[in-house]
Amino acid sequence: MRALLVEDDAAIAEFVVRGLREGGFSVDHAADGEAGLTLAIEHAYDVAIVDVMLPKRDGLSVIDELRRRGVMTPVLILSARRSVDDRVKGLQAGGDDYLTKPFAFAELLARVQALVRRATRAPEPTTLTVDDLVLDLLSRRVTRGDTSIDLRPREFALLEYLMRNAGRVVSKTMILSHVWDYNFDPQTNVVDVLVSRLREKIDRPFEKKLLQTVRGVGYVLRT
Amino acid sequence: MFSAPENDSRPLFTRTFGLRIALWYATLFIVGAIAIVFLTYVLTATSLAQRDRQLINGKLGQYADVYQRGGIDGLTDVVRAEQRTAPERLFVRVVDRFGSEATVVAMPDGWDPASLETGSLQLSDGTLVQVGKSTEAREQLLARFRATLGVVTLSIVIVALAGGLLTTRSAVLPIRKLTQAVQQVIRTGRTDARVPVAGAAGDAINELTTLFNAMLDKIEGLVTAMRGSLDNVSHDLRTPLTRLRGTAEMALAGPVDLDRYREALADCVEEADRVMVMLNTLMDISEAESGAMQLTREPVRLADIVSRAVDLYRDVADAKRVTLEVRLRPDSTTGGVGDVVVMGDRARLEQVAANLIDNAVKYTPAGGHVDVEVQREGGYAVLSVRDTGAGIPADELPRIWDRLFRGDASRTERGLGLGLSLVRAIVEAHGGTVNVESQPGQGSVFTVRLKPDTT
Repeated sequence: MRALLVEDDAAIAEFVVRGLREGGFSVDHAADGEAGLTLAIEHAYDVAIVDVMLPKRDGLSVIDELRRRGVMTPVLILSARRSVDDRVKGLQAGGDDYLTKPFAFAELLARVQALVRRATRAPEPTTLTVDDLVLDLLSRRVTRGDTSIDLRPREFALLEYLMRNAGRVVSKTMILSHVWDYNFDPQTNVVDVLVSRLREKIDRPFEKKLLQTVRGVGYVLRT
Repeated sequence: MFSAPENDSRPLFTRTFGLRIALWYATLFIVGAIAIVFLTYVLTATSLAQRDRQLINGKLGQYADVYQRGGIDGLTDVVRAEQRTAPERLFVRVVDRFGSEATVVAMPDGWDPASLETGSLQLSDGTLVQVGKSTEAREQLLARFRATLGVVTLSIVIVALAGGLLTTRSAVLPIRKLTQAVQQVIRTGRTDARVPVAGAAGDAINELTTLFNAMLDKIEGLVTAMRGSLDNVSHDLRTPLTRLRGTAEMALAGPVDLDRYREALADCVEEADRVMVMLNTLMDISEAESGAMQLTREPVRLADIVSRAVDLYRDVADAKRVTLEVRLRPDSTTGGVGDVVVMGDRARLEQVAANLIDNAVKYTPAGGHVDVEVQREGGYAVLSVRDTGAGIPADELPRIWDRLFRGDASRTERGLGLGLSLVRAIVEAHGGTVNVESQPGQGSVFTVRLKPDTT
């Protein structure tokens, strides 16, 4: 997978490039809009991550120009502004998703992968498997080894989300928006509570622990 | 912030505008006055000429009679007799029928025959009787009249110009004051200037002034709120940033130890997240308070909002062994249950409900109850959250809405102290109210009242 990052802040660029490489991408980086545009036109990237505020040429105009030239690489827009207007403008310019700074890298990676998945139209699986944990999306049954596990709807939704992102850390904010469709931070950590309930059911009775907490970042399901 | 071009400091526009109006006014006035004067003159002149003509015609008839009866001598006698007593002297002449012999009966001294107004009557034998009158007196009268009219016209022009300037000056004065106030605001960036409202209520300028002041009020409010929130934000960020920096610094200064580093980094990420949430919430509060928050209003069933929020906290309440229940009370007017609808921003109202439930669950000990009620009461759509928690001491009650205020009992709990401020800001941005009743030791009730959607 090839990814292009157009970002002028060196520190942000460095950690995003490193993170994406660790996530299995080969990454090119451009520090201004003109360079980014040239790279995006000359190479076939699977995904581009474009900051809005850029020297020489702003991100929205880069995307605009790309779309005008028929380059349909999926684009994730990064912006320091959080207003709905900016989001709408970004998506209208031809961006495919929008992320506000400051962001959690886990969320950026998840969104980038979702864009790639959407673009390649990978067939939708009917069962998700992590180690001996199996989740059947059609019958909505969960088993680990030979044991059938009874989950409540929210627990099921959380497990499905974690399994779809198996091996990747998902943040509390991402869980909150995927499982409850809430986009603000409740003061009490409702995610912690749900995760510990799920852990009770899928991990506690078994020797091998799959659901791990990455302190400060989020949760990950891995073998 | 703004810069005005230097030569704009003079109220050029209003000045030329006023002058233009004054000139228009004076021109119309003068044209009208001159028309009246001209008409008066013409009427006077014609009526004077007409009077002379009548006199001449009368005399002609009379003298023709006298001539036919007494001949030229008789006429001479009569004319002489008449001219001795009559105030007006006339020129009288008789011309025979061949036009060869003309007898001047009377010719006043010093008369110029060219400036005579004359009339003639031909008798049946062809003799022509002529009577003339000098126009000199008439001309003198008209000349005096013209002089008077000239003076009058001149004074009218002066009065018109002066009056026009004065009236437009007083009409333009409020506009000029307004212009000055605007320029002052632009030049200094200070929005506390106000234009004094003068004149009768309801006149156009007055209305404009009032509106302009109202606009300044609004701008000033926004600017103050912005400044206030900027102050608050910079102040509120200092504490978490100090913690962030301190944690990193301590880790770096200590012995090289991977586990300690890991711990410190995790602390830093969590602290950074907290800063981010705080920043977003503070922005939300300021936007809602200043009226800048964008609310996507749609009909929203309060029961839906509440059930989603309760769903979010269900597990938390269960884990704490707090009973969390929703009670949908029948509508006192329609008797329907759960159909209390308000016009509001769904996501924001969900945030209100979630924050109130969050608080209630947080401060209610194991075995307690949290009841969320939705009802229509006294013309309001009412959402209330009742808990059997610790309650709020009376001296803390008024301050719980303040940003970052945390009561003594709440300090041990996780939170920013922004939840209730946000609740109030959002509810008030919706035109509603929120209040609290609390009995220390027994619990609290938070009540949100919104205008129900009646459509």
